[in-house]
Amino acid sequence: MQLDGSFVVCAPRLRVWEAIRDPALMAACVPGCQSAERITDTAYRAVVTVKFGPISATFNVVLDIENEVPPDSLTARAKGEEGSRASTVSALSTLTLSDDPAGTRVDWSTDVAIAGRLGKYGLGLMRKKIESLSAEFTAAFAARLAQTNQGAA
Amino acid sequence: MSYVLNPATVEQAVQMLASHPGARPLSGGASLVAMKNARLIEPDCLVNLAGIAALRGIARQADGSLRIGGLSRHRDLAECALLAGDQAMIRQAAGVIANRVVRNMGTIGGAVGNADPAADYLPVLACAEARVELAGPGGTRHLTMPDYLLGWYETALQPGEFVAAVILPPAGPGPSVYRKLARTPGDYATVSVACARVGEGVRVAVGACGPAPLRSPVAEGALAGRLSDPAAVAAFGAALVDLSDPVDDVRGSADYRRRLIPRMVAAAIRDVTEG
Repeated sequence: MQLDGSFVVCAPRLRVWEAIRDPALMAACVPGCQSAERITDTAYRAVVTVKFGPISATFNVVLDIENEVPPDSLTARAKGEEGSRASTVSALSTLTLSDDPAGTRVDWSTDVAIAGRLGKYGLGLMRKKIESLSAEFTAAFAARLAQTNQGAA
Repeated sequence: MSYVLNPATVEQAVQMLASHPGARPLSGGASLVAMKNARLIEPDCLVNLAGIAALRGIARQADGSLRIGGLSRHRDLAECALLAGDQAMIRQAAGVIANRVVRNMGTIGGAVGNADPAADYLPVLACAEARVELAGPGGTRHLTMPDYLLGWYETALQPGEFVAAVILPPAGPGPSVYRKLARTPGDYATVSVACARVGEGVRVAVGACGPAPLRSPVAEGALAGRLSDPAAVAAFGAALVDLSDPVDDVRGSADYRRRLIPRMVAAAIRDVTEG
C-alpha cells in the first residue's frame, strides 16, 4: 500500500535533519513507540504497539537506513514482527527535506505491507489508521522541535 | 490461557477490570468471542457482565428518558414497543443486525463498545441524540455520541470502563426510519441512513461513511421547512457528502459510497414526509 504526505516544521533544515536522525527524539514522537535503541549508525531496533479496535499488536521493529544524503533525503526500510504471532509489517520509506518560507518542508512516501491479525481490517481502514498515526506523529514532532527551539533561544 | 470472572454488580466488574490489566468486559460475546475464536485477540481474562442485574432492562425514567441497559439484546430492542415515533428507527435497526442467532446473543452495550463504524446502532443512536452511560473506576459518566466516538474503532472508553447503558431523550411523534444498503441481508451496511422527522424538519445521521456517523445540525437547520423542495434536499445530501470520509473495502469503494449518500438521504426524507 502506497502512502505519501508532507508537513512543514518551523525549524531550519539542519535542525530537522538532526531530529530525524535522533532515535530518542523520534521514539518519543512515534505513536505507540515504547523503546528504541541504536544497533549501528544506520540500524535501529524499536518496540511499537499498534492498537486498532480490540486488537493490540506489539511489533519488534528493525529499521535500516539504506541511503542518506544529509540534510536532504533518507531512505529507510523497516521490518516488524509480532513476537510469536504471524503478524508482520514492512515498509520502505523515503523522506525529502526542502527549505520552506515557514521553515522546513518534509515530503514523505512509504510503501507498507501488513500481514496477520491487523489485516482483518482491510487496506481501506489500514490506510485511514496510518493517516491518523502520521498526523499524530507530525503534531508531536513539530511540538518537539518548537520546544527545543525555545530552549536554544 | 484465559479465565472468566463473574461479577454480580457494576462495582465488582469495575474493580475486576481495574485489577486485571488486559482483562476485557464480555457482554453478549457476538463479536468478542468470534474474534477470540479466530485468534485475533487473546485476552488473559474476561469479565463476564451477564450476571449484573443493573445492566438489564429497558425502562422509562421519571424525566421521560428511556434507559436501555447495556445487556439488552438486539432482539429485545427489535421487539420493544417503547421505541416508537422518532425512535422507531432504533427498533428497525436492531431488527436488521446480522442474523437471528447474533440478535439473540449480541447486546447494545457490546455493539456500542465495539463501535464498528458500519454497525447499525451508531447512526440511529446519533440521530436520536442518545447518550452513552459509561461505568468505570471514576464512577459513571454520560457522553453524547459525537463525544463518545473519537475515530476509527476508537471510543472515549478508558481502561476499566464499559458501556453500562444507552439513554434516549423523551421520544417525539416522528416518524423515523432506518435505511440500510448492504450487499446481502445481515451484512454490515455499505451505507446506512437514520432519519427522524422533527416538526417541519429532520434529524439525519449517515452510517458506514466515516469513523463516526455523519450529522450536520447546521444543514438540518437550513433544510427545515423545505423537506419537499428537491433542491434543498440535494443541497442537504451534498453537505453530508462533504462531511464523509469513506473507505474503499469489500463492500464498496469510497466513491460508490459518496454517490449513495445523497440518494439514500433523499429516500429517507421521503419516507418520513410522505404518507
